[in-house]
Amino acid sequence: MSLLEVDDLTVEYSSGGYRVTPLKGFNLQMDKRELGVLLGASGCGKSTLLSTIAGLLRPRSGSIRVKGSDVVGLKNQELTRYRQTSVGVVFQAFNLIPSLNARENVELICRTAGQSRTEARRRAEYLLEVVGLEDRMGHRPGMMSGGQQQRVAIARALALDPPVILADEPTAHLDYIQVEGVLKTLRQLADADRTVLIATHDERLLPLADRIIELSPRVGSHDSIAEHQHLDDGEILFEQGDPGSLVYMVDSGLIQLIRRRDDGSDEIISEASSGAYFGELAPMFGLPRSATARAVGPAVVTGLPLRDFRAQMSTSGPNP
Amino acid sequence: MSEGTNAIGPIWLASIRDLQWRWRRFLLAALATGLVFGLALMMSGVANSFSVEVHDTVSALGARWWLVPTGSPGPFTVAAAFPASTAAVVRRVPGVVTAEPILVSRALTSGAVGSSPASGVPVSSEKDVNVIGVVPGGLGSPQVVEGQPLRGPESAVVDASLGVEVGDQIALNDIRFKVVGLVRGVTYFAGVPVVFVTLGAADRFTANGEPLATAVLLRGTPTRPIAGFTALTDAQVRSDLGRPTTQAAKTIQLIELLLWLVAAGIVGAIIYLSALERRGDFAVLKAVGTPSSHLFFGLLVQAVLVALGAALIGYLVEIPMARGSQMAVRLAASDYLAVPVVAVIVGIVASILPARRAARVDPALAFGGGR
Repeated sequence: MSLLEVDDLTVEYSSGGYRVTPLKGFNLQMDKRELGVLLGASGCGKSTLLSTIAGLLRPRSGSIRVKGSDVVGLKNQELTRYRQTSVGVVFQAFNLIPSLNARENVELICRTAGQSRTEARRRAEYLLEVVGLEDRMGHRPGMMSGGQQQRVAIARALALDPPVILADEPTAHLDYIQVEGVLKTLRQLADADRTVLIATHDERLLPLADRIIELSPRVGSHDSIAEHQHLDDGEILFEQGDPGSLVYMVDSGLIQLIRRRDDGSDEIISEASSGAYFGELAPMFGLPRSATARAVGPAVVTGLPLRDFRAQMSTSGPNP
Repeated sequence: MSEGTNAIGPIWLASIRDLQWRWRRFLLAALATGLVFGLALMMSGVANSFSVEVHDTVSALGARWWLVPTGSPGPFTVAAAFPASTAAVVRRVPGVVTAEPILVSRALTSGAVGSSPASGVPVSSEKDVNVIGVVPGGLGSPQVVEGQPLRGPESAVVDASLGVEVGDQIALNDIRFKVVGLVRGVTYFAGVPVVFVTLGAADRFTANGEPLATAVLLRGTPTRPIAGFTALTDAQVRSDLGRPTTQAAKTIQLIELLLWLVAAGIVGAIIYLSALERRGDFAVLKAVGTPSSHLFFGLLVQAVLVALGAALIGYLVEIPMARGSQMAVRLAASDYLAVPVVAVIVGIVASILPARRAARVDPALAFGGGR
């Protein structure tokens, strides 16, 4: 049994009146002492995955288990307890409480979970020593560097000794000198019988990783090949939220691009007829499909890898 | 472990630290609210003074019964005059121990009437006063707190709120009197001071010298009705005397209530602003397992502390406000004790909206790099 198991996870949420599906059928298993790095373009669902594992978002379907215990079905108080004791979160912008000093930022979490003042203070001081901030305990966040703040945030994430640590772009606001200390600390966390999952754009983290999880295909992937597809009336070519590596040209017929609204209804956002293309953004930026493509009547389309699509555009020009 | 476990510690820690962190803003809020509290306290004192002065004035005359012409609601509000000699008739009624006539009227001070004890500046040359003519040394004759009792037709005993001193001259409707003594707290109709003169003197400027009275004060209890007169108790007289200021008192009480609401509004606005600014903090705290109830009570604690601080400031500002007031301000210990209670209520009411907002913050906001 893995320490962290994510099975067939689909997450939907509302954005600007539309239903967005950043994760669809996602799977992940991680064991203790393992450090995973989630790579992917902005908007591909990295933070969504971390939020869902942290119990902050409810998935539409699928399951998450930590040490074999289901997370998705937890109710209010169980969820609060889960957030306290099972996952520690390190945020991109540190997100320390500005009015509290370093020790109090950590102590607050311990006391919220029911520890006595003395016990909480001792724990906070110990953790700040672990991250090398024993001489900064009385400093407020505003008096510390970004790297020091991030290490306080790591100490806070460890306050109740959770088995899973989630870090969202932990090096985004740090210069290269500050990054070093944070990377070292994150690696040490995984070595202490924990699972650490880091969402990042920062490829400097890759050498630390035991596993790299790419949430979106690499831009300009060369793996896919051109394909012709015959579609019947009403047939779905791809659905909103699907990963996409091909750009489609309409050879004949009509394709409707449909976006799902918050209320579950569909909105036709555009139609592509013979000679037009669609679906270029997903492969171009490594994002999930932002709409569903459905044939209206019989249609024939050609799916082109990005490389072929670009070559064709340079000779034929943009959409009519 | 339940959600509320050891809730007080972390609530105090976060709330107190935030108050310290944003102390300038909270101090401003406490000062503004304190000013409102002080004003509300003073309003309460003014409203109280209406009933206190009625009680004290009626008590000062020391009667068991007040005899007034039948149909008259009371001796102070409707001046139904009758011959002062009626008192002599009443004295003979079995059960009556003492009966003395009084004449109640109003007058205007004219010309310089003396000097302010504090500044030596002449007191306003025109001032409304209530005049009560009494028999010197008899029932209704005032107990002076300074100077001598009323003695002759040229003498007057005056409530100290008129701003004159013993030995000063005052003119009532152009008739001059010498202030021989002072009384305190004998006012009515919203702080209008009473001037006691002899019954004969009162007759001089209110009834062309006719020996008239508007009430007969009694000690003892008459065993039979007195034709053409009704005997009123102190309570009935107080009720009659308080009636003209009832509306004013209600209006002041309404203003007082509105001031408490304004105070709640100020505290609420500051706490709401704070809650908006701390939205990111709340999201993070929820994301790391702080129960919503802690966030709710944290803001509630802040609001109550600000309101209690404001109550303290309110006490301090009320003192100079009351001293500068033209109207009497009478506050009892219970009024002062009520302020912190009201402050706590104000704090709770003020914090409900921001606290609910804080408790409902989506913890997922903590992700994404923004605060």
